[in-house]
Amino acid sequence: MQNKTLSYLLLLLTTCFFSSCFQIIEEINMTGNGSGTVDLTVNLSASKTKVASIMLLDSINGYKVPDKQTIQKEMDEVVAHLKNSRGISNVKKKVDFQNYIVSVSFAFENISNINNINQSVLKKLKINTTSNSSYLYNVAGGTFQRNYTHTKEAVTQYNKLKPEVKNIFKEATYTSIYRFDKPVITSANPLAKISKTRKAVLLNTGIPGLINGKTNISNKITLSK
Amino acid sequence: MNHLSKFTVTAIFSITALSVNAQNLLHKIPADAKAVITLKGGNLTQLMSVKEFNNTFAGKKIVEQLAKSAKGNFKTIEDFGFDLSSDFYYYNQSNDSVSYNCVLAPVKDAAQIDELFKQAQKKFTTTDKIRSFYNHDSTEVILWNNKMFLFVKSDGKESYFSRPEVSKRLGLPAPTDFGLKDSITTVNPMTDEDPDADYSVAADAVVTGTEQPHAEEPRQVKKKKHTVRKQQKGHSKISGKKYKRKKHAKRKTVKRIVVDEEVQPEETYATSDSTGYTEEIDTALVHANERIRKIKNAAVLSWTREMIAGSFTKTSHTSILNNKDFVKSIDDKAELTAWIPSTEQSMLALIPQTIFKGVNIFKGYGSANVKFYLGKDAIRIGSSLTLSDEMGSAFTRINKRKVNKKFLNYMNEDKLTGYMAYAMDSKAYLQEYPKLMNKMYGSVYSDELNMATDLFALLLDEEAVSKVIKGDGLFIFNGLTPKEVTYKTYEYNEDNFEKDTVTKTKKETMPDFLFMASTEDTRLLHKLIAYGVKKKVVTAMHSYYELITPKNPLPVYFAIHNDIIFIGSNANEIEQIVQNKYQAKLSSRHKNEILKNNLTVYFSSKKMVGKIPAGELASVEKLEKTNKILNSLGDIYIKSGPVKGNVFSGEMRMDIPAKEQNALKYLFSIIEDVEK
Repeated sequence: MQNKTLSYLLLLLTTCFFSSCFQIIEEINMTGNGSGTVDLTVNLSASKTKVASIMLLDSINGYKVPDKQTIQKEMDEVVAHLKNSRGISNVKKKVDFQNYIVSVSFAFENISNINNINQSVLKKLKINTTSNSSYLYNVAGGTFQRNYTHTKEAVTQYNKLKPEVKNIFKEATYTSIYRFDKPVITSANPLAKISKTRKAVLLNTGIPGLINGKTNISNKITLSK
Repeated sequence: MNHLSKFTVTAIFSITALSVNAQNLLHKIPADAKAVITLKGGNLTQLMSVKEFNNTFAGKKIVEQLAKSAKGNFKTIEDFGFDLSSDFYYYNQSNDSVSYNCVLAPVKDAAQIDELFKQAQKKFTTTDKIRSFYNHDSTEVILWNNKMFLFVKSDGKESYFSRPEVSKRLGLPAPTDFGLKDSITTVNPMTDEDPDADYSVAADAVVTGTEQPHAEEPRQVKKKKHTVRKQQKGHSKISGKKYKRKKHAKRKTVKRIVVDEEVQPEETYATSDSTGYTEEIDTALVHANERIRKIKNAAVLSWTREMIAGSFTKTSHTSILNNKDFVKSIDDKAELTAWIPSTEQSMLALIPQTIFKGVNIFKGYGSANVKFYLGKDAIRIGSSLTLSDEMGSAFTRINKRKVNKKFLNYMNEDKLTGYMAYAMDSKAYLQEYPKLMNKMYGSVYSDELNMATDLFALLLDEEAVSKVIKGDGLFIFNGLTPKEVTYKTYEYNEDNFEKDTVTKTKKETMPDFLFMASTEDTRLLHKLIAYGVKKKVVTAMHSYYELITPKNPLPVYFAIHNDIIFIGSNANEIEQIVQNKYQAKLSSRHKNEILKNNLTVYFSSKKMVGKIPAGELASVEKLEKTNKILNSLGDIYIKSGPVKGNVFSGEMRMDIPAKEQNALKYLFSIIEDVEK
């Protein structure tokens, strides 16, 4: 009896006092013929104390807390979903329960295969993006395009959350990295950075901006021929 | 008689008359009251005058609300006619058929109360200076004269009315089952000729279940739930009766509409549109419900009349003052006292028996009281519970142990924010536990329990177990301290933005705690530790151990030293303890409380001010407000001592800051802080 009270007391204290932040990283490696690989990572390591405390609970703030088996199961479902998608192959997943990092990687035949895939994978990971992204790679023209449209639905859903839950997104970040086998000539989005070798473009932004629509992550990258 | 003696005699008489007057109202509380709450108006008005009350934030809101509902020219709570310097009472009287919730108040000016009712347009009658008011269905009765005011709210018990012999006698429909069947059949329409004449026929037909209504001949009936449900969820078609409908809606869900196809073949509504249908059903049901309600209310009213008869004129020889336990609980210093004669009975009455399935977990719990004191330097809530002899001796044995004195050597009151110390004799607990279980579950599970008790006694050597875990413990909360934690993040190399995983550190505010428990036999513990090291969940540091499971949100360190198990979140602290370098500091107040009581809790909210990290609360304003409230709260103490003469008592106390005049004013200022 005393152990239960003690652990409950501790849990109460720990869940109250930790800030949380997480990272979403999207990497796309393109080859000349339009095929490539994708690596999606969700990193909760910076909030691992809070996540560890939450994992010990049944539910928090009205949301049910999944246990490790449930998370593994859902990851398997993500993999299965990807395997069944057109043009997608070599699907791999990695779940690190020590540091709370989850990643999924796969190969695609054509960039159009991944339109909406990333969104549906993130959705399965319980991250509702409610925005539309489509990718276009024009081999002949040497252009890589990411069209991103923000929907108002994101703001509506966000506003419905309790303040403590909203807090979680405050310091969360989104990073996208596109790597090519030819040098980049121009990158339209001012937030994007081009690497030294000019073969990679990185865009890093805070998630609140994506939720409220103030940040646009659309980009048109022109590659040398 | 000379003037002096005349004066003395008059004085004595008036004092006696006053005290009789003050006690007069207590005399009016029946001896079999199931609960009594006393509010000492005089104590409160001494702490805060009515004028001051009117000027407080809460006071203003209360007066506003009262003025709205009273609809008159009432500016302060004094205008209502009650004697605020005397005692107010609430009591409950009940039996198997009805429960009365009553409020008894001392009157200062009956004319003001008369005015109150007149302004609110509530009619009352006066007989021999006693005014009486009955609400629309007579479930609330109010009587008053120039001395006292009595409010009685009567609630008839469904369990009584649903007894077959009672429902038959009163002409109520027989109780129905709770199930609803799915078959939909046609409905018996109401004819409009003579609604009253139809009651006994159609009403029963639509209301009763498979059991035959007493007044009717047996009928072939089919059940229909469809319309009933629709009826509850839909809007009331008869606006005037909306209130009553709602009241019965809950009851209605369990009753079926019983439909009679054969008795009335002229069903003109069978195929017509459904709105006409449901309207007919609504009317029929409402009328039926109305009739049932009237019967029940009439019964309740007659009991209420009996109950209040003579309450103003009769001087009863048996009142609550005949109850020794109640009289013992009277405390002139307590602003509010709540008393019940039997916890077991009250709990059983409040909580439906079906939950516990015959198990009586409150067996042996007798009278109880809770007292609320607003003193000069503290707010106190005291409570006591009288136990039966059996329970009393069990508790005495369990509470025999006191907290280990050595614990005090590891407490530093400057460091700590709060603590919880408890002590019980684990050997006695293990011995008494099966007996307690037997008492609670014995009536239902006697065979299983006997076997379980024997098994328990066979397997468990209480003496041995109590040596390993003696039964006392002390948990210290040392507040929130920033600690360094590592986490993984990514860096992208400049060349191709390749992702590199790196480990960084950051400061996180974590709760700091230390837990101690006495132990005499550490052999098993050492074996457990060795096993833990082998399985790599425990790391041995040079003088203590670290528990490393990924499930742990906090780092946990532990050690066994001086016949005490220490578990804590601060490695330095554990190290100091093991090396006998810990700096203890504890005032005698804390020492005495911890060593004297079986449970002692202390918390200083002031020490939490500024420690809550900014990111945790939704906004900066919320954080500031939280800090402000924490700063204004005094230190809190909770304690519960050993059983004395079968009485188990506890106390909760909050010190009030020195700058506050008294506890009542302090309470109001906290309410203001929270509300603003």
